[in-house]
Amino acid sequence: MGKKIIIDPITRIEGHLRIEVEIENGRVKDAWTSGQMFRGIEMMLKGRDPQDAHHFVQRSCGVCTYIHALSSVRAVEDACKIEIPENARIIRNLLHGAQYQHDHIVHFYHLHALDWVDIVSGLSADPVKTAKLSENTSGRPQTADYFRQVQAKLSTFVNSGQLGPFNNAYWGHSAYKLPPEANLMASAHYLEALKLQAKAARMHAIFGGKNPHPQSLVVGGVTCVGDLTPERIDEFAGIWKETKAFVDEVYIPDLLAVASFYKDWASIGGNNKTYLCYGEFPQQGINDDLLYPAGTLMGDLKPVPVNTLKVTEDVTRAWYERGDAKHPFEGETKPIKGEVTYNTDDQYTWMKAPRYDGKSAEVGPLARNLVAYTSGQKDVKTLVDHVLKTLGVGTEALFSTLGRTAARGIETVVVGNAMGGWIDTLKSNIASGDKKTYQPWTMPDKARGFGLNDVPRGALGHWIDIEGGKIKNYQYVVPSTWNFGPSDGKNQKGPVENSLIGTPIADPKQPLEILRTVHSYDPCIACAVHVIDPHTNEIYKVRVI
Amino acid sequence: MKNNITILGVGNTIYSDDGVGIRVVERLEKEYDFPDNVLVVDGGILGINLLGIISNAGQLIVVDTVLNYGQPGDIHRLEHDDIPNRILAKNSLHQVDLIEALTLCHALDHVPQTTIIGIEPKDLTTLSEELTPEIEAKVDELIKKTLEELVRLGGTYTIK
Repeated sequence: MGKKIIIDPITRIEGHLRIEVEIENGRVKDAWTSGQMFRGIEMMLKGRDPQDAHHFVQRSCGVCTYIHALSSVRAVEDACKIEIPENARIIRNLLHGAQYQHDHIVHFYHLHALDWVDIVSGLSADPVKTAKLSENTSGRPQTADYFRQVQAKLSTFVNSGQLGPFNNAYWGHSAYKLPPEANLMASAHYLEALKLQAKAARMHAIFGGKNPHPQSLVVGGVTCVGDLTPERIDEFAGIWKETKAFVDEVYIPDLLAVASFYKDWASIGGNNKTYLCYGEFPQQGINDDLLYPAGTLMGDLKPVPVNTLKVTEDVTRAWYERGDAKHPFEGETKPIKGEVTYNTDDQYTWMKAPRYDGKSAEVGPLARNLVAYTSGQKDVKTLVDHVLKTLGVGTEALFSTLGRTAARGIETVVVGNAMGGWIDTLKSNIASGDKKTYQPWTMPDKARGFGLNDVPRGALGHWIDIEGGKIKNYQYVVPSTWNFGPSDGKNQKGPVENSLIGTPIADPKQPLEILRTVHSYDPCIACAVHVIDPHTNEIYKVRVI
Repeated sequence: MKNNITILGVGNTIYSDDGVGIRVVERLEKEYDFPDNVLVVDGGILGINLLGIISNAGQLIVVDTVLNYGQPGDIHRLEHDDIPNRILAKNSLHQVDLIEALTLCHALDHVPQTTIIGIEPKDLTTLSEELTPEIEAKVDELIKKTLEELVRLGGTYTIK
């Protein structure tokens, strides 16, 4: 038995992601991911009006409000056979595209960057050399004076001991490889990205209605017809352009610059090469001509169309009443009664184990881009090949933590570019007098439907069963459950568990390497309860057993 | 910008008392009118996504649950140094909660003058749209305290 590390963010509330790994000879030998919070929102939806479902599901997650609402209205529209007007489809795409831009920038700079960038090291950088580095690598070069100011600011933060991002990481860890100047440049962009993200979030307010919870979605279309003026569309386009410029000039150059120092991570953190993508951004009809095509890859590079009947959830290793793996239409949410016991040999999580055709599958940017790449999507192929060539690595490098992080950047560009075309079409529709955004419909007595979606974190499906005009059953399978779900009845591990196995760990007390892979999946788990506790400042409990 | 006052309710409406901040904001919007410089916002559990709203506020009143080792229903007013300065190491974007967003405002060079009107919750874990009776009984008082705070900051309101 090797050493065990448990990374368990202990706070006053339960409900977080817990990672346990066993280490032998400096590498992860086995891994378990656990969702420590029960979420049974589905149980709350039974008996309600299907049109109201999206108001509830959007509260299930703080970052993913819009996308749950979108999947929910799509499920009802599928059940009730409603074809939404073109303008509604475009506005939904624009809102979803805005979410991609915002979320991926925030993920890269504010969640993931500090796994690779040592801010404290940046304090000893030479501002003149940093300016030269930015001239050579960045699309938005800055002066030595600028970097001197950033350095002074960072130094204030670090010395004040108050600002957490500069407090809580593993500064000086041997796994940090960037030279001080690259660390300083990336830290400067961390601050720039904060400003940008505050602005990018405003895109949602324009067509989303009441900020910050989008209110404009309804079953049948969107209701923001009052905002379909050339002025409002231009306002949206202005923020889109500014965001896109940041992505092209700052995010992507940073991604490539940082990646070039971490090429060893192109062979760490892949899973067992099974991927699922529902596809997203319909450019025709209800669900046609997807910008990111749907498909699955099951161990090879030959994409196969998705058949949703092959989706099941296995509860063998989760804290639910035992039963066979079920399709979401038949799915149940029956937590076991009484106290639950965390036991990695038996049940150890509140997350069910989603399976496609009986296998675990990774979802998210890497899955999307691999399916698109192997399906011959031109924009994706060009960008992926460009990144591989710039870094001097082969396609095998895609199946890794680095590949996952690069895929996120690539799709930020692809989606951002596509948004320009959607804005133009919307403008010309409005100019020609087509302002239709809603299709009237009637609620059937009995119907079944599902809404598929590929959202920033991956494949998301909502399944609804309507009877007597009310919700009889509602199930959703979210991206983080696909990625962070547990083992199953056949002892097949989940994608993140598989990805962690084999990871080298320099210091078990500072398992930075584990965080790199976990963060590369952009976990979306701890989100239900929110309180302020002025008394604790407890962070990670890294226990070495 | 300095005269702008934002009243921001935060919390999750499907976890019982966690939604009390949102319930207050809903009642404020329904029962009162506010001038243009007063913005009332349902912040949900958007965490860092509230950064734009927070950083655009001159003065900020946050209505939320607060754990302060008191009794359920105790109402607290936190300002200045009472508000903890912390950013947790992040495992998920959702852990970047309101306090984190406030702290990150330092990096944007604008930290709004902030007061938190908080209530000690009874139940944050039961999946329910309803507040517990103890907390429900305190909502009127919480609204009164919030409006008092608004007036103290120079804001105004009228009853609809």
